[in-house]
Formats: sequence, C-alpha cells, structure tokens
Amino acid sequence: MRGIAIEAAVSQTGPRVFDTLTLAAIPPEDEALRAQVRALAREAVAGMALDRRARSWMGFDPAFSRRLGAAGLLGLTLPTEYGGGGRGPFARFVVVEELLAAGAPVGAHWIADRQSAPLILNYGTEVQRRAYIPRICRGEALFCIGMSEPGAGSDLAAVRTRAERTGDGWRLNGQKLWTTGAHHVDYMIALVRTSGGPEDRHAGLSQLIVPLKAPGVSVRPIRDLAGDAHFNEVFFEDVDLAADALIGEEGQGWAQVTAELAFERSGPERIYSSHVVLEAWIAHLRAVGRTDDRAAALVGGFAARLAALRAMSIACTARLAAGESPVVEASLVKDLGTAFEQELPLAIADDLAAHPDESADTELVAALRYLTLVAPSFSLRGGTREILRGIIARGMGLR
Amino acid sequence: MSAFLSPFEAMLDKLFLPARVRAIDAGGDWSPERVEIEQSGFLDALAPDMALPFAEVAALWRAIGRRAAPLAIGKAMIGRSGRDPDTAQPVLLAAAISGAADRVLDMTTAYAGERSQFGKPIGRQQAVQQQLALMAEEVVAIRMAVQLAADCDWPTAERAALAKAVAAMHAPHVASTAHAVHGAIGISAEHDLQLYTRRLHAWRLEEGGETAWSIALGRALLASDENALDWIRNVLF
Ligand SMILES: Cc1cc2nc3c(=O)[nH]c(=O)nc-3n(C[C@H](O)[C@H](O)[C@H](O)COP(=O)(O)OP(=O)(O)OC[C@H]3O[C@@H](n4cnc5c(N)ncnc54)[C@H](O)[C@@H]3O)c2cc1C
Repeated sequence: MRGIAIEAAVSQTGPRVFDTLTLAAIPPEDEALRAQVRALAREAVAGMALDRRARSWMGFDPAFSRRLGAAGLLGLTLPTEYGGGGRGPFARFVVVEELLAAGAPVGAHWIADRQSAPLILNYGTEVQRRAYIPRICRGEALFCIGMSEPGAGSDLAAVRTRAERTGDGWRLNGQKLWTTGAHHVDYMIALVRTSGGPEDRHAGLSQLIVPLKAPGVSVRPIRDLAGDAHFNEVFFEDVDLAADALIGEEGQGWAQVTAELAFERSGPERIYSSHVVLEAWIAHLRAVGRTDDRAAALVGGFAARLAALRAMSIACTARLAAGESPVVEASLVKDLGTAFEQELPLAIADDLAAHPDESADTELVAALRYLTLVAPSFSLRGGTREILRGIIARGMGLR
Repeated sequence: MSAFLSPFEAMLDKLFLPARVRAIDAGGDWSPERVEIEQSGFLDALAPDMALPFAEVAALWRAIGRRAAPLAIGKAMIGRSGRDPDTAQPVLLAAAISGAADRVLDMTTAYAGERSQFGKPIGRQQAVQQQLALMAEEVVAIRMAVQLAADCDWPTAERAALAKAVAAMHAPHVASTAHAVHGAIGISAEHDLQLYTRRLHAWRLEEGGETAWSIALGRALLASDENALDWIRNVLF
C-alpha cells in the first residue's frame, strides 16, 4: 500500500476480552432453508391466538414436530448416517429463528434437537446413537432435561438422585423438579450421582437416559403463574434401567452436562421469546398511523438492540460451527438477550397504556399480559442471570 | 485481521501516550503528530485510489478510540473519500466509542485484580464481578453493532443509525461502571480513566445520542411494510 510504513512494531494493546465473538455471516446454503421453514411455521400458527404463539418453545405439538422431521428440518447439525441433516449450527440457526419469530409450537422436539441429540452423538456408544438419533431427527423421540432438583438449582452439583449398579444395569431413586415437558415426552437425560455423596461435588456424577414410561417413574405437572402446566416433578422409585442407560462415562457427568449447557444456552431462543409481541405492536403502530418521535425512538431502540443481539448470536453460532464449546460467549449472549426479551413486554404494554384511545387488539393485550407474568423465567431457565455473570467473570479471569 | 491495523496501532501508541493526550486536551498543538500521520499515508485509507474495505477502516477507528487519539484522524479519512460523510461519521463515532469502551473494560478488569480491600482483590467480590460481566456484555454489543454496520462498501443511513444508537445507549453505563469499580482514584484528574470516560460521554452525544439515532432507525422501520425481523435482516445484515 502506497506510503504506509509497515513497521514490525509491538502494539501496546494487550489481549482483548471476548475477541472470539466477531462478526460472522450465515452461509447462503443455510439461509436458503428460510422460505421452507417459514411456510411450515405459518401453517402451524394459522388461526392460533397471539398469546398461544407467545408460548413459543413452551408450545407442544408433536404432529408439527414430526412434520418438521419429515421435511428434514430437525437434527440439522447431526450426521446424515444417523438420519441428521449433515449441515451444521448455521442451518439450525435459520430454522430456529424462523420458528421462534412465528411463535410456532416447537416444544415437543426442542430439547432433543437442541441438546439431547448432540449429547448422544458426542458421548454415546454406536448402539445408543443408532437407537435414538434417527428417531429424534424424525421428531419421534422426545426428550426432557433432568438436571434441577429440590435441593439443586443453581448449585447443580448438589443433585441427590442416585443410581446404584445392579447385576445387569442400574437402579434409580430420587426426584427431579421443574422438568419441562416430562409429562409428554419419552425420555429424560438425568444428571445423577453414581458414587460418593454431595460433598464430592463434581466427582461421582453421571448421565442416564431414563424412559419415562419405565415402572417406578411418576410425573406430576406443576401449574405456573399463568395457568399453564409445562414443567413437572418427576419421582423415581426403584426404577430399573439397563446397563446401556448410562450415556458417556461413569463419573464424567459434570463435564458432559457443562458441554450440554453450552448447547442449551447458545441458541437464538434467548433473544426471540417476546418477538411475536414486537411484531404485533409494530403492526399496530402502522395501522393506527402512530409514527411520531416517541414511538419511532422505542421501535428504533428495539430494532438496534435486536440487530446487535442477532449479530452476537450468529457470532456464537460460528463458534459452535468451529467445533468449540462457547460456554462464556453463550452466557454473554443469553444474559443480554434475556434482558431484552424481558423488557419488550413491559415497554410495549406501557406504550399502549399511554394510548388507551387506540384500543389495541385484545390478542396483543392478552399476549402482553402473559409475557409480563412469565418474563422473569427467561433469566432463570437454562441458568440464572447471576450464575451466567459468574461464568462471564470467570472467563475474564476474575475468579 | 487487516495487515494495516497493527502498524496503525503502533503509530498511535507512539504518538498518543496519555501525557500527549492530556496536552492536546488542554489545547496543545499536535501539528507534529499530524505531519507524521500524514506521511504514514493512513489518512488516504478511504481515498478513491486506495479505498481499503470499510470494515478495515472501522477497525482503525476503533484503534483511535482505544487510545483517546484525535477523532480528526478519522474525520480526515472520511473527508478524503469523496463519498457521503453523513453516513460514515456516525460509524466513526460508534467505532471510537467501541475502542474507548474496550479500553475502559480492560482497565477496569485489571484494576479489579490489583486493588485489594478486606484482604483480597475487589475483583473477588461477587458484586463487583457481576457489574464487570454486564459491562463486558455491553462492550461486546457495541463492538458487534459497529462490525455489523461497517460490513459494507459504504454505510447506509440505517447502518449508521444502528451503530450510533447501540454505541450511544451503552456508553454511559460502561463509563459509570468503570468509575464505580475504580472508586475515588478514577475521579482524580491524574488517573487515565477520565481520558476515556470523558470521551465516551462526548462521542455519545456528538451528532446525536441514542434517542436521535433510534428515531431515525425507527422511522425507517415503521415506513417499510416488512416485518421487523425481515427488515433487520434485509436492511442491516
Ligand atoms: C420455565 C422454567 C423451565 C425450567 N425447565 C427446566 C428443565 O426442563 N429441566 C431442569 O433441570 N430445570 C429446569 N428449570 C429449572 C432451572 O434450571 C432453575 O430454575 C435454575 O437453575 C435456578 O435454580 P432455582 O430455581 O432452584 O433457583 P436458586 O438456585 O435457588 O436461585 C435463586 C436465586 O439465588 C441466586 N443464586 C443462587 N446461587 C447463587 C450464587 N452462587 N451466586 C449468586 N446468586 C445465586 C440465583 O441467581 C437466583 O437469583 C426450569 C426453570 C424454569 C423457570
């Protein structure tokens, strides 16, 4: 380059925090999935009230999940030899973004597609992979996450549910709590103690695949503050499991669950939970012709934040695509993303309350009321705000 | 990363040590530095016969902000481009905010590891860690918004608005967290922190703060007939 003296100089900049999160683009072949997903999502939500759509990944519709499977839109990150799409995290990003933006009822396959199948692929035996992954990709094997217990929330290593070795397998006793979907799905991947006691912390934990129809398993739905029953208490009383219920290595449960949580936290679901009300409110503003500075400032502020979050989420997807486990980056995106999702219904409801003469659509009002009640859960499920910030602080070398 | 970034950074590191920045802030003359920068050729980074990719130039602007170096360097680059300055200038300001915010985060993280109270570094206190984690999130959000806006041949009005809105909305909180963690020493004129936080506030408001740019972005979105996600994907990505 003309005139520029390129010196071999040592710049005094030092390492920069979180340089790993850098702008990435969705490859065109993955972007190309969008139209197909959109059509299926539109069909699934046709005639569905806005407050139902606001349930998004709490909405449960196994027939829709099977339709997605038949269309090849589940298991996109998984190898074709197990029935997966053989594509990668970017393909999943596009599909998930479209489903969430539409408020499609994706709860049935959500957990299996997002974290159980990758877990089984990474840690399972060949027999386990063949037993579960093809069915997950068809939307026929549905999973839930068995981590939390009454005494083990943020402090996950405190789990007390125990599996003892028997002659030919395992015997399971204990209780899980807040298990989303356990009353509907087929399997739980449970984090349990297989040796030692709570004082051993991260040692002695393992993961087991538990068929929820097995004798000795009982599931009791818990009603939430909005009247829904999506999460459950699950009790295990002398549940006998085959030896190959163990997934991964005995005693390696903590490392495995940490990797699983990176999948759980890094998807775009952490920015779109309130998206349907954002779209409905913008449509409302256009319909009533309210485009003054105040409204525009609110809309533009949300659009700017959403764009930055989307770029961050895509950057995180690029880390997954590079084969990394972006634990810290995912925490960063999730924490900022959930704050945005939580603020949307409050700010939009406040805006509408300042314009009572506009008589907003009752569906929008109902969806806002619903989201206002459940929004606090956005920064609890998948790890609380405080826990995520602790992970970020560790990534910054502070702990 | 661009081959031009590290020589540019090295030049700025040499020319704009904090003592020089203070002298320039006090109204001192920086024509010697100007001459050296002119000779380096970097002021022509956007000029038609050189025209580095816009994203690479935005990285140079971040380097300016990181060192509290004069923004006039970036303004001169825009001036020599022969292209619309009105959409480049907000990106320059946002990039400078991003660089200064990066620096402030690094300083604050380092300080939290050095300063001890109650027998341990303040960075071991969970209350401090939680503030720093949030600060990191905001710093990354600003950086991503700048990278996104600059990922083009020349920014559109909407890209410019995005960059400046996000940078401006987070800048005050980044500055206030840095001061909170530094305690009284950060309030002293002698400490370098103020060189950067002062600029975070000034650059936030120059050519309009977060509300002004959010209005611009919101007007454009409301005037279209696309849904918000499609509009964002098509117009900003
Ligand atoms: C809608 C929903 C769905 C869920 N689905 C599932 C599921 O499918 N499977 C599953 O296993 N779990 C599920 N959970 C449970 C979720 O993982 C837990 O709620 C979460 O881990 C927090 O645990 P807790 O609720 O016991 O809160 P606690 O851990 O008791 O925390 C209460 C408060 O104390 C704070 N706190 C705790 N420890 C610390 C600390 N060390 N430092 C600072 N602050 C701290 C927390 O941040 C929080 O603010 C779900 C939760 C919700 C709300």
